Parts: sequence; C-alpha cells; structure tokens
Amino acid sequence: MTRPSTGLAYGRWTPFWFLAPAVLALALIGLYPTLFALATSFRQYNLTRTRDGFPFVGFDNYVTVLTDPTFWQTLGRTGLFFLCVMPVEVALGLAAALLLHQTGLGMLRALARVSLVIPLATTYAVVGLLGRLIFNRDFGVANAGAAALGFGPIDWLGSPTGAFTAIAAMDVWQWTPFCALIFLSGLSMVPVEIEEAARLETGSKWALLSHVQSPYLWPGLTAMLILRSADVLKLFDSVFTMTRGGPGAATELISIYIQRVGFRVFDMGVASAQALLLLVLTIVLARLYIRFFYREID
Amino acid sequence: MLSLLRHVSAAAILMATATFAAAPAVAETWDIAKAAAPYKGTQLNVIFLDRPGYRAIIKLLPDFEKATGIKVNYEIVPYENTRQKEVLNFNGQGDLSIALVDLVWIGEFAENGWIAPIDKFQSDASITDPNLNLKGFFPLLLDAFGSWGGKVYGLPFDNYSGLLFYNKCELKAAGFDKPPATWAELKDVYAPKLTDKAKNQYGYALQSLRGETQSADSFMRVLWPQGGSLLDKTFHSNLMSKESQAGLTFRQDMMKYMPPGVVSWDHAEAVNGFAQGQVAMITEWSAFYPTLTDPKTSKIGDCLGVAPEPAGPAGRLPALGGFSLSVASGAPEKVQKAAWIFIQWATSDAIAKDYVEAGGVSGRTAIYEDPAIKAKYSFVEPMVASWQKGVPEFRPRFPAWPAISEVVAEFGSKIMLGEVSAEQGSKEIGTRMETILKKEGYYDGKKPLLQ
Amino acid sequence: MRRLLHALGLLAVFLFAVFPFYWMVSSSFKTQNDILASPPVWLFQPTLDNYRQVFADEKVTRAVLSSLIVAVCSTGLSLILATPAAYALARFEFRGKADLWFWFISNRFISPIVLALPIYIIARNLGLLDTHLVLILIYVTFILPIVVWIVTDFFRSIPRELEEAARLEGASQFAIFWRIYLPLGMPGIAVSAIFGFIFSWNELLYALVLTRRDVQTAPVVATSFMSGYEIPWGKIMATGTVIVLPVTVFALLVSRHMVRGLTMGATK
Repeated sequence: MTRPSTGLAYGRWTPFWFLAPAVLALALIGLYPTLFALATSFRQYNLTRTRDGFPFVGFDNYVTVLTDPTFWQTLGRTGLFFLCVMPVEVALGLAAALLLHQTGLGMLRALARVSLVIPLATTYAVVGLLGRLIFNRDFGVANAGAAALGFGPIDWLGSPTGAFTAIAAMDVWQWTPFCALIFLSGLSMVPVEIEEAARLETGSKWALLSHVQSPYLWPGLTAMLILRSADVLKLFDSVFTMTRGGPGAATELISIYIQRVGFRVFDMGVASAQALLLLVLTIVLARLYIRFFYREID
Repeated sequence: MLSLLRHVSAAAILMATATFAAAPAVAETWDIAKAAAPYKGTQLNVIFLDRPGYRAIIKLLPDFEKATGIKVNYEIVPYENTRQKEVLNFNGQGDLSIALVDLVWIGEFAENGWIAPIDKFQSDASITDPNLNLKGFFPLLLDAFGSWGGKVYGLPFDNYSGLLFYNKCELKAAGFDKPPATWAELKDVYAPKLTDKAKNQYGYALQSLRGETQSADSFMRVLWPQGGSLLDKTFHSNLMSKESQAGLTFRQDMMKYMPPGVVSWDHAEAVNGFAQGQVAMITEWSAFYPTLTDPKTSKIGDCLGVAPEPAGPAGRLPALGGFSLSVASGAPEKVQKAAWIFIQWATSDAIAKDYVEAGGVSGRTAIYEDPAIKAKYSFVEPMVASWQKGVPEFRPRFPAWPAISEVVAEFGSKIMLGEVSAEQGSKEIGTRMETILKKEGYYDGKKPLLQ
Repeated sequence: MRRLLHALGLLAVFLFAVFPFYWMVSSSFKTQNDILASPPVWLFQPTLDNYRQVFADEKVTRAVLSSLIVAVCSTGLSLILATPAAYALARFEFRGKADLWFWFISNRFISPIVLALPIYIIARNLGLLDTHLVLILIYVTFILPIVVWIVTDFFRSIPRELEEAARLEGASQFAIFWRIYLPLGMPGIAVSAIFGFIFSWNELLYALVLTRRDVQTAPVVATSFMSGYEIPWGKIMATGTVIVLPVTVFALLVSRHMVRGLTMGATK
C-alpha cells in the first residue's frame, strides 16, 4: 500500500486552506444556534409564559425528560420503526443499485435511475396526504389491491398496527431510492478493469459482490445508516399529516413528541434537553456504525 | 371646525338609528378615509388561513386600501403552524400588527400581554367607528372569541358553529321526516335504522383523529350535552362525575353505528363520508356547507339537510369555534391604531353583506335578519339558533389548553380504540391535567380561575 | 434470458418508484368526488380544474421559483465549499482528521425544532427574514456534510498512481484536485448534488418559520393549502405534481454524470 505522503508533497498549511471555507461556514452558521439550544436546556424557557422569566434550573429539564415515560415509549417506538424500515430499504436499495449498475439496456436503466428521484422529491406533507389517500379503508388503493388478492378491507389508519405499517410503507417508498443511489455511487467506484476481470473469471454474482464490489459499499452503508438514523429521529411531516401520531399513540414518533413539547406547549427548555439527549444518542449510534461497518477504501 | 363636523355626524347617526326599523343596512357610514388619514401609507402585517372567510376579506381588501391608503400584507400559513408563527413572532420582537386569535388561544395571548384590549382604542373617537356597536355582535361570539377576564381584546372575525348535517333522503327512506332533536334519539332511534354494515352504510360518524379534532370535536362534544364538563368550579377534573362518564359511555355506545376507523377520521373524511352517502348524519362545522353543496365535491345535492346539533339532558350545547382579530401590542403605536381601523372595518355591519356574499361568515346579528341571505344559505338559520345560547368555555381558553388538549387527544383516542376504559382514561386525563394546572398556579389561590 | 430478467427487474424498480406518484398525478386530474370515491376510480373523466386553480394563484409559480433559487444556490455553494474539504480529508494526513470528518456529519443530527427560535432571532436582527439568503445559508449547513461524506469516500477510491504522475510533473495540490480528482469524482459529486438539491427543495420547518410572503418556498405553499378544516385534495395533488417536476429535470441533467464516464486505468 502506498504510504501517505507528508511534508515534501504539500505545505503545512495546505490542508488548512482546503478545509477552512467549509469549516468556517458550518461553524459560523451552525454553532451559535446549537449553543443557544444548549443554554436553553438549562433554563426554564417557556415561550408562552414570558411573565415567569427564564430562570436557570440546572439539570431539571434533563431529569424531567429522562423520567418521562412518554419519552421512552416514543423513543422505543421510533427505534422499532427504524428496525422495521432500515433492513427493507437497504436490501431493496442494494437490489435496485445492482440492477442499475449492470450494463446493457441503457434507455431503461436511465429511465429507472431518474424515476428513483421522484419519491425523494415529493414534498413530505404531500407524501403524508398520499398515504392517507392510498391507505384509506374505503377509497384507498391499498385495499383495492387487497381485495384483488382476496382479502377483506383492512382498516389501515384506524388500527394501531395498520397505521404503523402504513407509515413504514410510505417511508420505505420515499427512502429506498436514497439507499439505492448511494449504493449505486459506491458501485461506480469499483475500478472497471478489476470488475471486468472478475466477471470473466467467475460467473457467480455473489462472489463478485462479496469480493470485488463490497469494499466499495461499506462506506456507503455506513453513511446510509448514520443519515437514516438521524433522519428517523427527526421524521415528522409525513407521519404527522397522515396520522397525527394516532390512533392512540401508535404512530407517535419521537420527533412528533418533541414538536408537541416545543411548538405546542412551547416548553423550549424541555424540548432542548430532549433534542440534546437525542444528539448524544445519534453520535453514539454513528460511532458504533463506523466501528462495525466502515472500511476505508484504499 | 372638526368638532362641528363631529356633532353633525353624531346627529346624523342619531337620526339614522331612529329610522333603523326594518332596514338591515345602516344609514350612516363611517368616514373611514378621514379616520385613517394620519395613518396613510402604514403597512399592516397579519397571518391568514386558506379558508373561505379569509378569501372573502382578501377579495374586499382593495376597497379598504383605496379608501384608507393603509396596506394590508397578509401571509397564508397552514393552520397547524399559525400559533407557532405568532408565538415566535411575539417572542422574537417580530412585526405582526394584527393577531389572528383562535378562541382557545385568547387566554394565553391576553395573559402574556401580546394583544391589546380594545378599550385602549375605543375611547379615541378619531379612530373608532361610530357604528362599532359591540352589541351588534352575537354576545356568545364576542364573549367567547374576543374577551378574556372581562375585557374585550378582539372582534369576532371567522365564526363557526357545530351543526347537524343530515341526509334527508336516507332519513326519509328509513321512515324519518325530520332530524333527531336529542342525542338519545339519534343513538337509540335513528342510528340503528340507518346503519347497515353489509351495505357499508352508517348512521353517524364523529370525526376523532388524534389532535384538536379529538379533543374538541369528539371528546368535548359528548361531554357538555350530557351535563358533564372538563373542569369543576375549583378547576379540578370533573371527568369522573356521573354526567361526564355518561357522555363518554354514550360515545362508546355510538361506535357500533359509526364506520370502522372513525378514530382516524379527520374533518375531511367525515365530510366526505357524508358527501358520498356512506354516512347519514354528521355533526360538523358550519364552514363545510359550501363543500357539501358543491356538486364537484359532494354527491348529496338536494338531499342535504341542516339543523342545529341535537340536545342532551343539559340542553343544546353545540361545538363552538372561531377566530377574532386583535391588535398586536408589540407593534408601534401608529401601526396599532391603523390595525384597529382595519379590524373594525373587517367586522363591521357596513361590509357584512359583501362579506357574506364573498363567502365569509359574519359575526353580526343584523345581516342574518335579511330574508335574502336566509333564503340563499340554508345553514344560516340553524347556525343563528346555535349561537343564541352556548358555552364560551366549550374548550377552556386559558393558556394551559394546548398542553391539556394534547393529553385529552391522546387518551380520548385511546378510549375510543378500547385500549383503556372510559374510566381509566378519564382518571389519567384528570391526573395529568391537574398536574399541569397545579404548575400554572390555579390551586394556590393566586391565579383567578378564568377559562 | 438474462436480458429479460434484467429488464423485468428494472421495470419493477420503475413501478415501485412511480406508483404512488402515478396516484398523485392521476388524482390531480380528478374531481374531488372521484379522488375520494369508493371503490377507487381508475378510469375517469379528467379535469384541468385543479391545475387552473393552482396556476391562477401566482403564489405557486413564485414559490417554485423561490425554491429553485434557494436549491441551486445552496447546492452550488455547498459543492464549492465541500469538495476541497473532501479532498483534504481523503488525501492529507493531519491530527484530528477522523474527528473533523465526524464533526461534519454531526451537523445533521440535531432537531431543527430547537434551533428554530435562535435562528429566527438572529435572522430578524440581521434583517434577513423572508430573504433567499437566510434559507441558502441554513441549508448549506446540512447539505455540506452530505457532500463531504459521499465525495470523501469517492476521492479515496481514486488510485494514487494518477496523482504521483502529476506530482512528478510539479503540479500543485490544487491543480491535482482540480484536474484529476474533480473530473474523476463526478459520480459522487453528482449524487451528492442531487441529494443536496432534493433536501433543500423539500425542507419545510425553517422555510415556514423564516419566510413570509416574498420567499415562501414550494413546500410551504403546498402545506398552506391545509387550512385545518378542508383539504383541497385535487389542488394539493396538482401542486405536488408541479413541485416534483423541476427536481426531476435537475436529476435528469445531472444523472448522466452518475455513471462512470472515464476509465481510471487510462493513465497507467
């Protein structure tokens, strides 16, 4: 393997100049709001109780959050949601990427590739409304399909499991293309000659995948897991429009709960504490993903 | 000179009022151009919704702007985000001049000092409409939408009542030639005959989607007519009372006459179920009348019947909802006065007819005595009847309502699903609600018990 | 035979991606009675009424334009800032590199709900409310990390031999970055550009909080039709369809870069 070049190849400050613009931009725009949120989490900060002021309360908000059963329930539910949708999205995404990577059928491939953008490009609130249309018990297409297969009408949105399935289905529809496109970009990193040679050597698709292509897919998988974890913890608009978190609490994901606390009750102190705890959780998860899945390509 | 003019106009008004008699229109018009002269060129910022009442006023805005030179900048925002934007604006020294206040927000806005009471402006005759006539509003509306703690903060602008929409043809086919007058009748006599599960026909549907729909439309609606309520006189939970439990049990008993999945039905689904003929009766907001009469969105046609909501043992206490317009107290003095001029104009008798014909629902009593209006819009009579007597605190309007509404929505929906019994659910709501109210300070005597 | 399977597979991908979208588009041509008809209606009398409503109100076209400006600028700016950073992370060695690389992506982790208030206050104080600039700047903070992450890995996969040759000729780091890595890294850059554009296009919370009338973006306008009582299904479906189109066009333009164009073995 080549050794990293040092000193002679580039000046000491070269990395700095390449990195500075990006780091500066992020720090300038993103740092102050995050610090504000941190400060807020240590105060009693209710926007609709301005008369009470914003006194410092130490860790009270964090204690409130950690001893709140609803917080843990919604977090658990969100975790379950993630475990349901992620494997499906990764598997389907990989399959789609492989199909799109295989040479031949240029026109059809281009068409399929562009069509993958459509689910991602649909406004989240509209996705939620579409879900309401598709999964409606009486006029929804899902039940028309079920009827064609011989099943009676399923009350998707009115039953806890049905509603959960419905939001999972819409999420899979919207985000599988995301995974597919990342995998596709990973596949296109494989050097052509190596891939060609391997294809000629072995007819087995599986061997090709596991030996030649996979090193280029692990980084993509890691990125996917991290980004989707962060996004599922922030998932709001499509679910809210479809079910408002109901029926009962069946589809109340953590972000819907935070929105309740932060934008309905306007208790920004508690909401900030929640968000920061989730930030810590995401960082921990991301670190774990990197440790288990990330392989540097070199 | 000025005072002479004022005296002359006052005399004219007296004469006009004396000859008021049967004419619904007011003879004297407010010289709004004169009142607005010092504020010409002022810009007013307000948030509007994409609803008929607002579209109607937007249509009439050019008249206002031409007469006064005051420009109204409106921003259309989804309802779910309206309070968000307003609260952020008030907290961040934003520039809203007029606050759109849902009746359940008035306690919060008033107690935080975000809206100015109108007595601040009323005393100034140069900016006040001589025909302001607060008594010309339905007292219930002025009280519920615009008042808090005995003071008036805003004027009723976008007004709704819960109404019973029923399918005349389906009722007739089942042997009924008039709508149910009481809830008991609806449940025991009408619904069984109108429900046929095999044909996917149901007697009644109550929109119950988790959220404000569940807490206001579904939960509170069944409490009041039975004599129940959310809170008792000391602001403790009244949900365990016999009457409140009767209301919740009533709703559970009704489930068998309602379409499955009604717990996930929002207004859109309920109105549509009725419009497609699947459901024979719904109790929905008056604002849906246009949707139900438009052939593009409804198959009901002439079968549509409108009546006031049924009564319960405690009387007829229909759902009440609506918005008022108030002056934002964070705005500069000049802007506040211009805002006051606009608010009076928008809710005045003078433009009421144009407003109603543009699709709005005015809060003034006079316009509804016009026989032409009564004939054209068949929802007017039941709505006016519903506004004669009602509960301003149909939903408590204090600052704690949003938090309590979330609790009610969650458990109200769980009760309907059967995940908890009505009793258990009520106990849960009661405990959580009292925790919230305790934190607010209602139990240690320091805070007046206003709702 | 293999071709047939391949074709069927691609077709399945296409149908999966497109079916709900098809339902949205077909609903946009239906009257409300048809949209909400039970059982669902496949053949119907199409109507242009919804589109007429959408375009009569120039709000929608203005919103699409706003979204376009914000998306193009934020994506472009992110690409300009992020690609050099990705190169540095891929090819240079320095202390704290791994942490810095992680720090980039962690900018996407925190919930926007709690950042809305401080950002609103700052924007107000700087007079940036209801401007394109404020949205562009905010969106950069979450598009930049994605570009960095995808492109860094891409750059790492480019064989070092290419670089060695150029360096022997005395090329500067920047020249190597510009002439070798950028062109070869196009597939990764293209994908991250598409993602950046889409995330900017779809972002809702900040757009709601920070815009008013002049700069309302497409998702804000689409959701403003949900007034809380009525849902104008047809109008929203039509708006949704209109909103998807520019993104699809963008993706079309960019997607040809997503396939490997240049063979990397050329300079061996």
